[in-house]
Amino acid sequence: MSAASERVGGAPAGTLRVDWPECRARGLCAELLPERIVLDEWGYPVVLGPVRDDELGLAREAALACPRRALHLVKD
Amino acid sequence: MRSVLPPARLEVRRGPLLLSGVDDGPSLAAHRARFGPLPTPDLAHLVDLVESAAVRGRGGAGFPLARKLRTVARGRGRLPSRRPVVVVNAAEGEPVSAKDEALVSVAPHLVLDGAEVAARALGARDVHVVTSADRPLVGRAVAQALAERRGDGLRWSTHEAEGRFVAGQARAVLELMDGRPGLPVTAWSPEAVDGHRGRPTLLSNAESWAHLGALVHVGGAAYARLGTPDEPGTMLLTVTRPPGPDGRIALAGVVEVEHGSRARDVLDADALAAPLLVGGFHGTWVHPSALRDLAWSQPHLRSLGASLGAGALVSLADGSCPVGHTAAWTEFLAVESAGRCGPCRNGLPALARATDGLARRVDTRPRIRELTGLVTGRGACAHPDGTARLVGSMLTALPDHVEDHLTGACRCGVRVPAVVA
Repeated sequence: MSAASERVGGAPAGTLRVDWPECRARGLCAELLPERIVLDEWGYPVVLGPVRDDELGLAREAALACPRRALHLVKD
Repeated sequence: MRSVLPPARLEVRRGPLLLSGVDDGPSLAAHRARFGPLPTPDLAHLVDLVESAAVRGRGGAGFPLARKLRTVARGRGRLPSRRPVVVVNAAEGEPVSAKDEALVSVAPHLVLDGAEVAARALGARDVHVVTSADRPLVGRAVAQALAERRGDGLRWSTHEAEGRFVAGQARAVLELMDGRPGLPVTAWSPEAVDGHRGRPTLLSNAESWAHLGALVHVGGAAYARLGTPDEPGTMLLTVTRPPGPDGRIALAGVVEVEHGSRARDVLDADALAAPLLVGGFHGTWVHPSALRDLAWSQPHLRSLGASLGAGALVSLADGSCPVGHTAAWTEFLAVESAGRCGPCRNGLPALARATDGLARRVDTRPRIRELTGLVTGRGACAHPDGTARLVGSMLTALPDHVEDHLTGACRCGVRVPAVVA
């Protein structure tokens, strides 16, 4: 990874994966982790890049908060 | 509602290996006369053979078969719950492909031999064969062939998938085998690790099994005499012209070619001068200027931004317009979505509207690019990715055709194949 990302918040530590047939575009994930998840024009999550070290806690919370259990954090 | 249906007629040419027995008839006796008795390689020998021949899956993804074999072998255990499963996927959901239909009709025992050899080498007891309801002759050919074979400790089961585009997807097939709707679901690990009832499952396309069968019958040296050192052996191609307004492809030609051989040996002069869709409706357009030197080689196709896929080719040799056809096919693909994943269920109809706009001479290219980016990688299966690939390739491989269409310089008369009212 680039030196810049390591300075800012740590190396990539995990990946957020969406269980697409379960997702109903409730949007809690994007609210909890706006730096990593934005919503497309239909309300479905777009995951922006890997989860960094310092974001793992929030990413875990976002996965737990999903009412459909459609968000999964896969650690590297 | 548009629909694209499998070809009305097939023409199957005799080939060097898989289709060598085209004139023999599909009986077991004819098969044994040509290829000999069923070989019984042990697992190590089989994996070696498949690896040396670099056999790749023929369902479209091109996954190395030896790696799949190894993965399934590694996951085995002695308990029934860990016994591996073999699946022959002949549910050809792609309407412009007919090579599996042809293969199973002409040489079913080559396919079944491959599956049986792998099953015995792996210690599997269950072999499943899946066909599609919209190609009933294939189901019948499988049933007839199975009736001729001796069970000998193997349990053969057949399944009929709905005649839907996505029904042939690997997980959709496993869902069908489990008695649920045959539609894709999210897979957290490959079926070779965790497949049918959690067991290591070797699921491969019918043609993949035929290659394995042919390989064990003729041996590695003879198999490698065909093709190139990097890509030994042959592949099956389906050659068609676009379906008419009624959604029917009149005629499909199925031909077996050696890897590395030239497209100009298979395509006539008109086809060499027209855009060619390579890889079916999840494939990519290839510009006519690339066809003279086009070879049936995956690295070569990749250098053109294309991929062999399952070898389904649609030639616009009739002079028709790629924009109109792409719009019609994108709508078909949108309708064929399983509708389970938001980005696909919403994004594909939006992409169909944008492509239709392009066909009506509105420059929707920015919107098309936005949507192809949005749907790719955001579904339980590759249906949105494949659709995005089709449309994206029209823009990148045929930019002059698109320009001509937008400016009215193309002669197609804006006749998008008619919507049935």
